[in-house]
Amino acid sequence: MDMAFIIETIAKIVVILLVFSALAGLGTYFERKVLAFMQRRLGPMHVGPFGLLQVAADGIKLFTKEDIIPQNVVKPIFKIAPVITAATAFMAAAAIPFWPEFTAFGYKVHPIVADINVGILYVLGIMAIGLYGPLLGGMASANKFSLISAARSAAVFISYEVISGLSLLAPLMMVGSLSLIDINNYQAGGIGNWIVWSQPVAFILFWIAAFAETGRTPFHLIANDHEIIDGFGTEYSGMRWGLFFIGEYANMFFISFVIAIIFLGGFGDGSIAGAFQLLLKVSFFFFFFLWTRAAWPDVRPDQLMWLCWKVLMPLAVVNIVITGLVMMF
Amino acid sequence: MHSEPLNDRNVSEQSPYFYVDIETYPTTSWDKFKQVVKRTFKGELFVGLWVVMREMIKFDIHTVQYPKEKLPIGPRYRAVHKLLRLWESGYERCIGCGLCEKICISDCIRMDTKIDENSRKEVTEYSINLGRCIFCGYCAEVCPELAIVHGQRYENGSEQRAHFVIKDDMLTPLDWLTSGQQAEFPGFGAITPNESVTKTPLAY
Amino acid sequence: MSVITITIDGKEVQTQEGEFILNAARSNGIFIPAICYLTRCSPTLACRICLVEADGKQVYACNAKAKQGMNITTTTSTIETEKRAIMEVYDVNHPLECGVCDQSGECELQNYTLEVGVDKQTYSIADTHKPTQNWGLIHYDPALCIMCERCITVCKDMIGDAALSTVARGGENIEAAFKESMPKDAYAMWNKLNKSLIAPNAGTTLDCTNCGECTAVCPVGALVSSDYQYTSNAWEHTQIPATCAHCSAGCQISYDIKHTDITNPDAKIYRVKNEWNYISLCGAGRYGYDFENRNVTKNSIAFDAAIDAFKNADTIAFTSTITNEEAMILQRLKEKFGYKLINEEARVFKNFLSNYSTITGESLYHGFFKEVHSADFVVSIGTALKTDNPNARFAMNNALSMNKGAGLYFHPISDPVIAAMSKNLMQINHAPLMEEATLYLMLDLFGDKAEMPSELTSYLATFHSTKTVTIEETVDEKVTETIVKKVLNAESGVEEEVSEHVTKTVKKKVSKEVEVDENRLLELLNAPAGFSETLTKYLAKKSTFALIVGSDLYTHPNAANCARLVGLIEKYTSFSVTMVPNLANTLGVALICDLDESAGTKTIGYNTAGNFTLSALGEGDLDMPALNQQEGTLTSNDKRVNPTNAALPYGGYELNDIASALGVKEALTVDYTSQLPLNAGFKAVEFDTLPNYYTNAGEEVRGYVLESQRSEVSGDESVQPLDEKYGLKGALVYLANPVLQFTSFTAASHQLQESGGLYGSTSFMNSNGLSAGDSVRVRTSLGEMVVVFIHDSKINGDIPYLPTFDSKINSQALFGGYRFSNVSIEKV
Repeated sequence: MDMAFIIETIAKIVVILLVFSALAGLGTYFERKVLAFMQRRLGPMHVGPFGLLQVAADGIKLFTKEDIIPQNVVKPIFKIAPVITAATAFMAAAAIPFWPEFTAFGYKVHPIVADINVGILYVLGIMAIGLYGPLLGGMASANKFSLISAARSAAVFISYEVISGLSLLAPLMMVGSLSLIDINNYQAGGIGNWIVWSQPVAFILFWIAAFAETGRTPFHLIANDHEIIDGFGTEYSGMRWGLFFIGEYANMFFISFVIAIIFLGGFGDGSIAGAFQLLLKVSFFFFFFLWTRAAWPDVRPDQLMWLCWKVLMPLAVVNIVITGLVMMF
Repeated sequence: MHSEPLNDRNVSEQSPYFYVDIETYPTTSWDKFKQVVKRTFKGELFVGLWVVMREMIKFDIHTVQYPKEKLPIGPRYRAVHKLLRLWESGYERCIGCGLCEKICISDCIRMDTKIDENSRKEVTEYSINLGRCIFCGYCAEVCPELAIVHGQRYENGSEQRAHFVIKDDMLTPLDWLTSGQQAEFPGFGAITPNESVTKTPLAY
Repeated sequence: MSVITITIDGKEVQTQEGEFILNAARSNGIFIPAICYLTRCSPTLACRICLVEADGKQVYACNAKAKQGMNITTTTSTIETEKRAIMEVYDVNHPLECGVCDQSGECELQNYTLEVGVDKQTYSIADTHKPTQNWGLIHYDPALCIMCERCITVCKDMIGDAALSTVARGGENIEAAFKESMPKDAYAMWNKLNKSLIAPNAGTTLDCTNCGECTAVCPVGALVSSDYQYTSNAWEHTQIPATCAHCSAGCQISYDIKHTDITNPDAKIYRVKNEWNYISLCGAGRYGYDFENRNVTKNSIAFDAAIDAFKNADTIAFTSTITNEEAMILQRLKEKFGYKLINEEARVFKNFLSNYSTITGESLYHGFFKEVHSADFVVSIGTALKTDNPNARFAMNNALSMNKGAGLYFHPISDPVIAAMSKNLMQINHAPLMEEATLYLMLDLFGDKAEMPSELTSYLATFHSTKTVTIEETVDEKVTETIVKKVLNAESGVEEEVSEHVTKTVKKKVSKEVEVDENRLLELLNAPAGFSETLTKYLAKKSTFALIVGSDLYTHPNAANCARLVGLIEKYTSFSVTMVPNLANTLGVALICDLDESAGTKTIGYNTAGNFTLSALGEGDLDMPALNQQEGTLTSNDKRVNPTNAALPYGGYELNDIASALGVKEALTVDYTSQLPLNAGFKAVEFDTLPNYYTNAGEEVRGYVLESQRSEVSGDESVQPLDEKYGLKGALVYLANPVLQFTSFTAASHQLQESGGLYGSTSFMNSNGLSAGDSVRVRTSLGEMVVVFIHDSKINGDIPYLPTFDSKINSQALFGGYRFSNVSIEKV
C-alpha cells in the first residue's frame, strides 16, 4: 500500500467526518427552521443572523454540559453506546460515493473512502450494527423508559432490515453488482435509466424502511417523547447525548445518499451537473424527512410491526419474484 | 359574539356543538387491510404534506418576537399593583382596612398601620411579595376604596424569588396625579378617561 | 338552689333554680342574642334583644329567672319584628367605618345585624358630632358607641371602680311618628340610646385602676386600647392561649400575636384578650404583655460561664416568677448537687401553709375565688387587696354588688377604692402587727363556740366585758287624740260638730340604760364606732362566707400562730378560706421546692441578685426566657395548675439547658410537667394534654386542680395569746406595689413603664410637706435610701409604701421580712 493512498484515505475520512458532523448540526438548524415555517413560526432567530449560530450555541452547550453518569447504570456500556451509534453511522459512509471522480491539483480524487465490491451490503450491514447504540444504551440506562425504547429499537431495526434488504434485492438482481459505483454507473444513461422506473415498488419499500431505520416520524417510536420521554437517550446528557443526535442526523444524510444513488441515478454520468443533481436529490430526501415530521402523526408499535410483516414484506417478496420472472423470460 | 350558545354543552340543533363523524373501527383482518389500502391510496398522507407545505410557502408567520415586539395588553390586565390617590385631594385612597391582606390567597400582602395625628388610620408601609403573588386580582376586587388596582407592568424578572414592591413603588406620585397620569381602573365604578374628571369614582 | 327542668324551643334543659333564662340557654348551647348582658354582672336591660316568650309571656331572658317547668320559645313573629327593629335602630347613624374600626369583624353589632338580616333602614334621626376622647390607656369613640352600658356594668359590678356613667347625649329627639309606628321595645331601647353617652365620672379622663375591662367588654369599637388602636386587624392575630404571669390569680388570657412589621416577620404581641364573660383582667395583665427578653441568641461564652458558676456555687436564689417546671428543675439540682434554694417570699408562704395544715390536716386551703364570687359575706385580712391581687378584689366587689353582700376589710392602710366598692363594707385600719387580733376577732365573731377548744373559747371570752351604756332609743308610742270636726249633715244641710277619736303613732326619744357586751379586740383593732351594730346589720340574711388572707400574715413575725389561727377559722367557722400567694407561682414554688432559710457564700441569682445572675429581663450574666417566651405551668391561688404557652420566639439558653449540661437531663422543660411531686398534690399529666379554656356554661377547663393532701393532725389546737402591745406605732412604711405593677416584668412592658419611688396618700403628702417629685430619704433600722416621692391618690392614711417592681430600688433590704416597718422620712 503506498503512502499516498493512506494519506488520501485519511484525508477523505477527516473531510467526511468534519463535513457530516457539521451537516448534522446544520441539519438540526434546518429541521427547526422548516418545522417552524410549516407551523407559522420563525424558529431560532436570536443567536447570529437568522439564528444561524444557534447550532454553534447548541454545540458549545453540549460540549460544556456536565456528563452525568447515573448511579445504577452499567457504566462501560452506558458510556460506549452513543459512540456505537455515531461511529457506525460514519463507518457506513465509507462505501458511499458522495461525488463523482474529479481532478484537483493534478491529482485524481475518488470521493469515496473505499470502493469495495460489496458496497451496499457493507452499508446495510454497518447500519444494522448501529442498532447496538440504542439497544445497549437503553438497556444499560437502568430506566424503564430507556428499556422500552431499547426493546422497540431492536424490534424495529431487525424487522425493517428485512424490508430494506428484500426491497434492494430486486434492483441488485438487475444491476448484478453490490458496488454503489456500479449501481450508479448502471443508471448513468440519464433519467430514463433510473431504477425507480423499473422498480417503483422497491423504491417505495426502501424509502419506507429508511424512515424506520433512522427512526423518524411517522416511525419515531424508539424515542417517542410523549410516551417514553427520550427513550434510550433519557439518562444521557451533554455530548454523549449529542453523539446519538449526530448519529441520527448523519444516518439521515447517508440513507438519503443511498436512496438517491440506488434509485434516482446518483450522480449520473459523473459530470458536474450530475454531481449537483445528486446533492439536490439528497437534499430532497433530507427535506422529506423533515416534511413528514411536520405533517404526519406517529403510528403505534403494533401497527408498525403489522405494516412490516403483513404488508411490506409480502410486497417485497412478490416484487422479487416478479423481477426474477421478468428477468428470466 | 354572545357566549350563551356556547354555555350549552348539550349537543342539539341549536347548539354549536356536534358529534364528530367517526368511522366504525375495523374488526376483521380483511377490514383492517382494506382500511390501510384505502388510507394509503386515498392520498390522506399527501393532504397532510400539502397543508404544511402550503403554510411554508405562504410564509404567514405568527410569531411575536417578544423582547423586541410587545403585544398590546388589555386595560384590565392583572400585572404589578398600583396604589392610587384621590383625584380631588391627592390623599392616598388606601384606608388600611386590611381586606387585601386577608383575602390574599398566596398571603403575600402585608401592611403596617398606625393612628395618625388626625386620629385616622394611616398606612405607613405596604408591601407585596411579587415572588409569591399569583396576580389573581382578589386584592383589587375586594378593595372598598378602589385604592389598589393592577397596573400594566408585567416584567418582573428578578434575581431572587422573594421580590417585593413597597408602597413607594406602587403609590401614584403626586406630580403624576396632577399631570393626569394616574390611570383609572376601568372596572366597577370606573370613569371614562377622556372626560375632564376630577372625582374619584367611588360608587356609594 | 335546686336543679330544675325547663323547656327551651322544645329542648329540655336542666338548670339551677333562679338562674336567668339566658344563662340556662347559653350553658346548654341554645342561642339567644344579647348585647348588653354580661355573665356574672347584673342585667342592664339596655338592648332588649334577648326577648323570649316564657309560658306565653314576653320576657327579657337576661333578667327573667327560670322556674320549674317553664316553657320558653326563643323566636316568635313578634319577637322577630322587635329584634329586626332593634337592630335597625342600632344601625341608625352608626358610622360605616368597619374597614378601619378596631373591632374588625369581632363586632357584635355587625354580627347581630347580619344575624337578624337588616337590609334596609326604616328609622332615621339627625346625627350629631361626637368627637373622640382619649382617656389615657383607653380611647373612646362616642360615634361608634351603642350605649349597651356593658362598660358601666362591668366597672361597677365586677371591677368596683364605678368610674363610668352615662351623660346626656344632646341632639334631636326621636320623631314622634316613630312612637306609633315602631315596635314597643325597639322604641324604648332607642329612647334610652338617644338620651345618653358614656363618660368618665372624673370628667374628661378616667380616674380608675386602669384595668381596661371596659375595652374588653365593648361589643363595638367604641372603647379600645389607645396603644392598640389602628395598629392591626383582629383577624390577623394568632391567639396563644396562656396564663397571666404577673400575680397569683393566674388569669386565662390569650396573647394576640402577629408579625412585627413588613420588614420583620418575628412575632410580636399586639394585645392581650380575655374571656371577659368568665374572667376579668387587671391592667397589669392587659397592658403588661411585652416583657419578653428580646433579641437573645445562644451566647455560648456566657453559657459556659454559667455552667462554671453553677459548679462553684452553693446557693440558688430565685423569685416566684417562674414555672412549676423550672421550680422542679431547681429542686432536682438541689437534690443532685445540694444547692441551697433561696426564695424568702415562697418560704414564708410554705411555712404558713404547713402551720395551717397542723390544724386542718389539709395541705392546702379550701377556698376558690369562685366561692368568693358567690359569697355574700367576704372578709379580707392582711392583704392590700387592690394591688396584691386585683382578681381577689374583683371577686369581693362582685360578691358585694351582685349578691347584696357585705364585707370587712382589715388592713392598716385605708383604701378609697375598696371603700367605694360597696356601702356594706367596713374598713378596719388596725395597727400593723395586729393581724392576729383580726383573726381572733374572726374566731370570736363567727366561731362555733360549742365546737372550739375550750381554752380558745375561754381565751376569747377574756376580751369581753359588760358595760352599761345609756343609749337614746326611738320608741313608737300610740297616742289617742280627740278631734272635733265640722261635718255637713247631708240630710239636714246643717253643719254639725262631731268629735272623733284618732289613734296616731308618734316617735319618741327615750333614754335607756342597757348592758352591752364590749369586745376589747375591737378597740385593739381601731374598729369604727358602732362596729357591732353595723356588723349585725351586715350579717342579716347572709349564708355564704368567704375569707381572703394575704401576705401580711405570711411575713408576720408570728406567722406560725397566724397560720394556726387561720386553720382554726377554717375549721370552726363557715368561712371558706382563700389565701393570696404573693407572686405568679409562689404556691407552686412553695409546693415543689425545699427552700432554705440562709444562703451560702456563692449565689446564682435567677431573676434576682447573685454572684452570677440569670435574668429574663436581659440584665444578667446569662439571658433566660421570660414567661411569655416559654411553655410550662403556673399554680394559681385557685390551686389550679394552669398551662401557659410561648407566645414569642426565644433564641437563647433556658434553665433546662443548664440543668442538662449539669447532668439533670430532660429533652424539654415541659417534660417535667408530668414529674411534678404527686405528694404535693400535683398530677402526673403530660403538658400537652392540659386544656386551657372556658365552656359556654362558664366552667373553667384549665389544667387541673391540685389535690389537697390529708395528713394526721396531733389534735393540738393551742394558739399563742395576743400581745396587746404588739402593734407598730409611729411613722411606718409598707412594702407594696402601685396599681398596674407587680414585678420588674410589668415595668418592662412598654405601656406600663414607670420608675418607682415612695408612694404616699394626699394626707401623707400634706402632713409631711411633700409634693410629687420630691426626693425623700427613707430610713429604717436596716438601712436607708433616697427615692422620689410619688403621689398616690388611690390610698388614704399616713402610711406610705415602697414598691418592689423597680429593680433599681432595693426596697426589700429596708424591711425585716414583715411588710411594715418603722421609718423616718425626710425631704432632701
